Amino acid sequence: MQDYKTEHPFDITLSEEQQMTWDMLRKFAETEMRPQARKAESDGRPSPELLEKIKALDLIPLIVPEAYGGMGLEQDSVSNSLTLEALAYGDLSLAMSVSVPLLTAQIIAEHGSEEQKSQLLPEFAAGSIFHVGLGVNNAALSTDPYQSSVLVKESGEDIILNGAKTGIAFAEEANSFLISASNESGECNLYFVSKDQEGIELESKEFMGLKGAPFSQITFTNCKINASQKLGGHNYSIDFQALIDSSRIGMSALALGVCQAVLDYVIPYTNERVAFDEPISNRQSVAFLVADMAIETEALRLMVYKAAALKDLDEDFHKHASLTYRFASHHGMKIGTDGVQLLGGHGFTHEHPVELWYRNLRAIGIFEGGAGV
Amino acid sequence: MRMAAEFILRPISRKYDKAEHEPPLEMEQLNQAAAAQKKETGMGDDSVKSMDLGGRSLWAVISLEQMCWGDVGLFLARPGTGLGNAAIMAVGDKDQKAVWGKRWAAMAITEPGAGSDSKNISTTAVLEGDEWVLSGEKIYVTDGDRCDCVVVWATLNKDMGKTAIRSFIVEKGTPGFTVARLEKKLGIRASDTATLIFDNCRIPRENLLGGKEEIETDINAAKKSFGGAMQTFDNTRPMVAGMAIGLGQAALDMTRALLSEEGYEDNFGGSMHTQTAIQSELEMLEAELEAARLLVYKSAWMMDNKMPNSKEASMGKAKAGRIGNRISLKCVEICSMQGFSEDHLLEKFSRDSKILDIFEGTQQIQQLIVARQVLGKSSSELK
Repeated sequence: MQDYKTEHPFDITLSEEQQMTWDMLRKFAETEMRPQARKAESDGRPSPELLEKIKALDLIPLIVPEAYGGMGLEQDSVSNSLTLEALAYGDLSLAMSVSVPLLTAQIIAEHGSEEQKSQLLPEFAAGSIFHVGLGVNNAALSTDPYQSSVLVKESGEDIILNGAKTGIAFAEEANSFLISASNESGECNLYFVSKDQEGIELESKEFMGLKGAPFSQITFTNCKINASQKLGGHNYSIDFQALIDSSRIGMSALALGVCQAVLDYVIPYTNERVAFDEPISNRQSVAFLVADMAIETEALRLMVYKAAALKDLDEDFHKHASLTYRFASHHGMKIGTDGVQLLGGHGFTHEHPVELWYRNLRAIGIFEGGAGV
Repeated sequence: MRMAAEFILRPISRKYDKAEHEPPLEMEQLNQAAAAQKKETGMGDDSVKSMDLGGRSLWAVISLEQMCWGDVGLFLARPGTGLGNAAIMAVGDKDQKAVWGKRWAAMAITEPGAGSDSKNISTTAVLEGDEWVLSGEKIYVTDGDRCDCVVVWATLNKDMGKTAIRSFIVEKGTPGFTVARLEKKLGIRASDTATLIFDNCRIPRENLLGGKEEIETDINAAKKSFGGAMQTFDNTRPMVAGMAIGLGQAALDMTRALLSEEGYEDNFGGSMHTQTAIQSELEMLEAELEAARLLVYKSAWMMDNKMPNSKEASMGKAKAGRIGNRISLKCVEICSMQGFSEDHLLEKFSRDSKILDIFEGTQQIQQLIVARQVLGKSSSELK
């Protein structure tokens, strides 16, 4: 039975602060990130200049607690979603250059032991963003998304890791990694692994999309770490499902930004492109594709806001996060493919960004742990 | 609302689906129950009964959703509920609202030769002395037989196109106004769908509902006038979309109930490797339904906050109309022979749902409206 909570009336008005932040980040995405998207793709990473500008946004120091040198601002999930949406409007892989470390810092601040926090957070506060790599994406096909393709065996003070994780952003620059691993009883937790640890192998990977950021795979072979390297300490256990669910809302918010970019691109294009003596958008077959794109983008926006709002209200958000991510994956890809279709042959070439968005949107529904709210 | 849907509507769903054209008397109980509730709590569901939407659209949408979780056909057959009421509340003046607000008003727009193309209607209205004289034929009028009065769209001058379209309130029993026939339909059989004939039907001058007595010659004023009439749809579309949401939810709930008898459990958030085909299908349908629901709520919320919501109303109606239909048909398929069987209501939902993607503007009309707004096109550019 549908449960209506009348004490939380439907309202989607942004606060003044949310609106200001959104305007600022959206402008940054349009003027700084979008023009760099192609270059970042061919370089396989954002330029140092752009990274400096991204760091100057101070998005990460903002959420690091004051005790560790940050500004200690607690961001609500709706605001985080807005941030991700605004940045992805510029470029998805560049947005993920911020969203992955942001999520990493959030996880450490929320779940880290005192020692882990004091070791890693001050660096985030000081502007470093890639010193911890986040390994959540599973390398094995059939792994449950709420489990890990890395298996952990705990015996006393020793923890042994075996298996592989992939899609780890900026792994080459990291000193350590935060890796999800499942134990025999099916509990999934996160573990810090130092880069020079024995039994790990790092290999850079290329994907069909998200080429503006470097990604790697890590393979663990009998990698032995200490119990204190478990996130939160030896006896701590994380609600891994909630972590993935939160990340899925974040990925959906990123998808939303890209969908909006596609929509805003095809509107002027189809209005200006003339065939048979009139704009192609005068034809229903074209116009209806655009209309559906607008409908599903708006629907995705409301899904993301609702999922984030449920999280902010401390409600159970598992189901809604799942539905949102599913919706983002399905309609995001539909919008991506329609975006190329509407531009015809032109859309297939690098002369327009729609083929890039098409490739990037395929990551939605596949990538886990790329952003969080 | 939901209790009423479950304990009053559901038990008689099948009966009135079979007994087409028989007024469901039990629906009067529902009105009495609502009146009693109003007396007791001071809060009532007048917004649903009369579609008085002032400031309470979202509330009305949610109520409709719950009622139509029970049965769309019966809901439409509930005495006192009519789309004409929404029109009166949207464009009527104070006196008209006072006189007609509580009467059951149907809405008559479609003609044999004009459906979605409502500016091309040919029912005529001529002012003679202090009376309007209406002549023409209206079809597919929901509640057309059982209502107290009908809001009729007619033209003052067919050659003038949409600038000459006006709406009028015609009371049941007015000489010259007859109910010619009742349709047999695919679904919503509990609700009557009538053909109305107006043959030199004379009504009082003050029954002109939307717009002025004269045809505006100024193009902008004329546009505004027709726009005013069309504005009714911005108010009624979220309501009809809400019906589709309720129906979609009902189909999903019933499908889950049938599946759970055979051990089914949901698995939200699983991957393709960990979900069964049915878990995956139901998750996607649920996601689509939730997306539609939020679009519809937003369009109603905008209405309550006096924001122009024409685009959003059509977005919600387009999405909810197609999803309600898709869900109900898919649920029949998932439940296989049981879904197809009249032992359960799933097959009925799948028949009822089709009309929700047609009336108050078809899927294609909604897409057209959204497309024109999104692309910044006029109706002559994007036909």
